[in-house]
This record gives sequence, structure tokens and C-alpha cells, in this order.
Amino acid sequence: MSVASQDTAIRTGRITRTLIYVVLILFALFYMLPLYVMVVNSVKPLSEITGGGMMNLPREFTLDPWFKAWSSAQIGVEPTGLAPYFWNSIKMVVPAVAISTVLGALNGYVLTKWRFKYDTILFGLMLFACFIPFQIVLIPMARMLGLMGLAGTTWGLALVHVVYGIGFTTLYFRNYYAVFPTELIRAAQIDGAGFFQIFWRILLPSSGPIAVVSIIWQFTNIWNDFLFGASFAGADSQPMTVALNNLVQASHGVKEYNVHFAGAILAAMPTLLVYIVAGRYFVRGLMAGSVKG
Amino acid sequence: MGFLDIDNTTKSYGSVEVLHNVDISVEEGEFLVLVGPSGCGKSTLLNMIAGLEEITSGEIRIKDSVMNGVHPSKRNIAMVFQSYALYPNMTVGQNITFGLEMHGTPKADREIAMRDVAKLLQIEPLLDRKPGQLSGGQRQRVAMGRALVRNPDVFLFDEPLSNLDAKLRVDMRTEIKKLHQKLGTTIVYVTHDQIEAMTLSTRIAVMNGGYVQQLGTPQEIYDSPANIFVATFMGSPAMNVLPAKVRVEDGLPHAEIILHDGSATLLPFSQENLAAWEGKEILLGIRPETITDSDGADRKSKNIAQMINRIVVTEPAGSDTFVSMQLSGKDVIARMRSDAEVRPGQDFNFAVNMEKAVAFDPQTEARIQP
Repeated sequence: MSVASQDTAIRTGRITRTLIYVVLILFALFYMLPLYVMVVNSVKPLSEITGGGMMNLPREFTLDPWFKAWSSAQIGVEPTGLAPYFWNSIKMVVPAVAISTVLGALNGYVLTKWRFKYDTILFGLMLFACFIPFQIVLIPMARMLGLMGLAGTTWGLALVHVVYGIGFTTLYFRNYYAVFPTELIRAAQIDGAGFFQIFWRILLPSSGPIAVVSIIWQFTNIWNDFLFGASFAGADSQPMTVALNNLVQASHGVKEYNVHFAGAILAAMPTLLVYIVAGRYFVRGLMAGSVKG
Repeated sequence: MGFLDIDNTTKSYGSVEVLHNVDISVEEGEFLVLVGPSGCGKSTLLNMIAGLEEITSGEIRIKDSVMNGVHPSKRNIAMVFQSYALYPNMTVGQNITFGLEMHGTPKADREIAMRDVAKLLQIEPLLDRKPGQLSGGQRQRVAMGRALVRNPDVFLFDEPLSNLDAKLRVDMRTEIKKLHQKLGTTIVYVTHDQIEAMTLSTRIAVMNGGYVQQLGTPQEIYDSPANIFVATFMGSPAMNVLPAKVRVEDGLPHAEIILHDGSATLLPFSQENLAAWEGKEILLGIRPETITDSDGADRKSKNIAQMINRIVVTEPAGSDTFVSMQLSGKDVIARMRSDAEVRPGQDFNFAVNMEKAVAFDPQTEARIQP
């Protein structure tokens, strides 16, 4: 075995290896370029940007654009900065991610361990939710939110995202639990644990990797969503993405590019953080169940 | 009325019946082994006793109360699974006491019960570890501890040794037997391994195709198999089954079999009612260990027949030597002492203990009962 694998392993000489690394580094630099431009220009005074030389490092370093974007920039009609909208986004994202993940886990649990007739068809229909374009549901969703009295509220937005996310979270958890040994569930049943006890005590503690996948996925999607935010949010419940758009698209006065860049980085920060903190579980969780062992 | 009654029980999935009218009554303290090839319905039957599968028709009773539709946790049973099914997120101690906790046993009592079981199974040093940090044999002990701690009426074992390596399997087998002798509990044990079945059980139910083929003590199953399936399934190497014609000489029935060179020889039956089959074909069943050299023949037997036949292959296995030959066109294995002097190609004088020979009806494959 070991002899065979040595023969078929890719053997790379020093030169090819160097070449590969050079190409990879060039690609990496190219991909990092936008981030470089954003960071560099967000710490320059506006005059330096308008004077040309977008690629240059700042001659005069300032954090003023960041403070302005956060707390005093003109968003719509109020000079509030992005801060209140940031909190709007948090208030929408946290419950939406938590609820959709827990519901997805419950769905996955039922679909794999409490099988019933036509459960695969039901699962297929839930998968369908992953393929419905946002635009199609805008008007019916607006009507539903209105009927429920949730129009223009953060809770309404959270609800929309929960509904949209369940398809994905169910898919993740179902596939994860499909390879979870059913004998454990049976052992717990004999031990006298009920439906929810098995879920909380046996299944959820073993769901770490897939929960991380679900949370990252939901968090990024919901945080970055613009369409639902722009369509369903009221003036005081607009999420970060909509506020950023309003900041950048403001049609009056001077275009403060440095403030815009700072604001854009602020808007992207939470998703970046989630990836950095939980990212290494992400791939692991996505791969779980695909390979035996 | 037994301790555990399986009364005319049937299991169907849709229109497919997988268990047909199973009738088994287990006494208190008995060790019943359900044995059979995969797909024979033995695990299904065990799951029905556990309450993990519905009973389609018939009744299962434990201590005379009907268990149909009763939740697994309310049957006072405990089960050891093939994969052990230890909760991976809990320590060994928590695994053992989880069932007690779910049944509302106070923490202090749980602690005492856990200590007792851990001591019995010698897993005290492992109580704070997670199942992932245990070896196969240790997991097996923990799984048994989890079952023992609840002090159930009936223990159910679902192929508990099949994930262990060969040596450990033998050790754990002895351990389970010791435990049964010490505690005197009622056990229903599923396995596909006929040696496990023989060594552990007080009674065996041999199953095939959803039917109980034979129910009896290990000795009954081995010596008087009810049909060809039981005869060939139990025992290793399997019982030799070869066609033979019944001839009556001096008023006694004989089996006429064909040697390697095409000549016929007669082996006298001990079973006299076979005279009724005179001139007809039967299937003759001979266990490998009843074909030996003359010195190795059973001295207590009153019916040792001699025959000279050519040896095809010898397989020394240390404790025994297996010798194969041709009889009536079939490969037949004989089990010799390891010091028997046998060579391939040799014409050898075999001694056949015909007291132990059995005869089967070729049509029904059932044993022709003496």
C-alpha cells in the first residue's frame, strides 16, 4: 500500500513548487486589493483622496472618517451615523439566527429519527425553500407581515429571515443527523428519555460542528441581506446594509469617500469576525457525514 | 406461563411478513440466545421485546403483563446494543446513571447504584472518562453497566460482541456467562455466531427466514437438529450432509454411501425406524468430529463403523487436524486428533460413530425422528 501511494503521489521539484507559490501569492494579492483600497482610504483625509492617488498609503493618518461613519454621518435625514442601524441589525440577526438554527435542528431530528410516512417528500418540499428567489415573495410577504401587525418592525424582519432560513438549516441538520447512530436514540428511549430530553441531552451536545455551519451561514446571509431590509423595514428598524446604502447614495453635499469606506468596513466587520472565530469549524462541519469515520 | 412469553407473535412491514408466528416462553433466570444468519428476524424479534418495534399480531408478556404498545422505558428491560450506543457527550458515570435520572431516582441513590455496578464490572477508574477515550472492551463493560444499574426484569443483548477482536470476544463471552451465573438474571441474547450461542445459552432458538427452526438446549440443538438448516448452521466445521440410500441387512437399516473410487459401502444406523425407508434416498448427517481414526473413536459408542477412503487434503489446525475426502460426490470433513498420522492421497481406515449420525428427509429437509 505505502509503496503504491508513494509512486502515485505528486512529486514536485523545487522550481515547480516556487512557481506554484508565486502564482498563488499573486492571486492572493489581487483578491486582497479591494480590502487594501478600503482600509487605506478610510484612514486618509478626504483631500488626499480627491487629490488622486487612491492606491497610495495615507500621508496623514486619521481615524475621523471612522468616528464620523459610526456616530455622526448623515443617514437619510438624520445625522446619526451608522450606530443605531448597527444595533437594528444585531436585534434582527441574533433572534433570527438562533430561532432558525434551533428549528432546523428540530426538523432534522424529526426527519431522521422520528420517521413518518412521506417524510422524504416533506423534506424535498423544505429543500425547495432554498431555491425560491427573494423577489418572488416580496409582495405576499409584505401582505402577511401587514396582517400579522409586524410590518416595519425588527421582529417582522427577523421572522422573514427565520422563514427563509429554515430550508437551509433543516438541510444541514438533517444530513448531519442522518449519520448519527440511531442506536443512541433507542438506548435513550429505553432509558426513559422523552422526545425533547433526547434532543437536548443527547443530540444537541453532539451537534457542535453543524451548529457552527448553520450559524455562520445564517448570520452572513441575514446580516448581508439588503432586499428584505429595504422592503420591509420601517424608518427606525432599518438594518446596517440599508443604512450603508443611504450613506453612500446621499445625493447632496460632497461625497465623503473616506467615510463611505469606513462605513463599508464597519458593515462587513461582524461577518468577518464570525468567520475568524468559527471558521475552522465551518469546513469541518460541511464535510461531516460526507466521509465515513 | 413463563417469565417472558412471546405468544404467537408476528411482524409485518406492509404486506411483507418478516416474522411468522413466533412462540417462545422464557423462564426466570434463563439465558435464551436467538441465533441465525443476517435477515432471519432475530434482531427484529429482540426489538419487539424491547418495544422499539411494533408487534403486528400476537402478544409479548413480561411477568404476565402484556407489553404490546407499552413504551420501552416502562417495560423494565435494559438493552446492550451492538455499537454499545454510549452517549458520546457524557462521562461513563453519567452514561450509567442516565436511565436512573430519567426515571426520577434521587441523586444519592444513583450514586450508590453507579458505584455498585462499577465495582462489579471493574470500571471504577473509568467513571470520569468519555466513551471516546475507552477501548472496545471497556465500552462493552460500560454498556453492560448501563443495563445492570437499572436492575431490570429482562436483559436484551443485540450482538454485543461482534465489534470486538477475536481474543477479547472470547474473554467477554466468559465474562457475560459469569455475570449471568452470578446474578441469575433473565437474558435474551441475539447473535449470528453459533459458538456464542452454544457457549452462553441455557436454551437456543435457531431462526431462519422469519421462522424459529428449532428451540432447545444447546445439546439438543447440536445432537438432534430438527432439520438440515439447523444441522449445518450450528457447529464448525458444519455437519456433513450427503445423499445415501437405505438398505436393510440382518433386519437393521444401513446407509449405502459411495466411496472415492465409486464403490459402495454400508454404514449401520443406530436408528431402527429407518428400516421403513428401505430402498429410498435420504440425506445422511455426520458431524466432522464423529469421523476419526480408529484410536480416536468414541469408546462409549456402541456403533462404530469402519470405512476405507482416500484422503484429499489435510489441514492441521493445531489442536485438531481436518481431513477432507469425497463421499457420495460430496466434500466431507473429518476432525482428527492432531497426532493422527494422515497424508493426502493416503487410503485411510476411518472410524465413523454412527450413534451420532442423523437422517433427513430429502423432500422436506426435516429430520427423520427416531
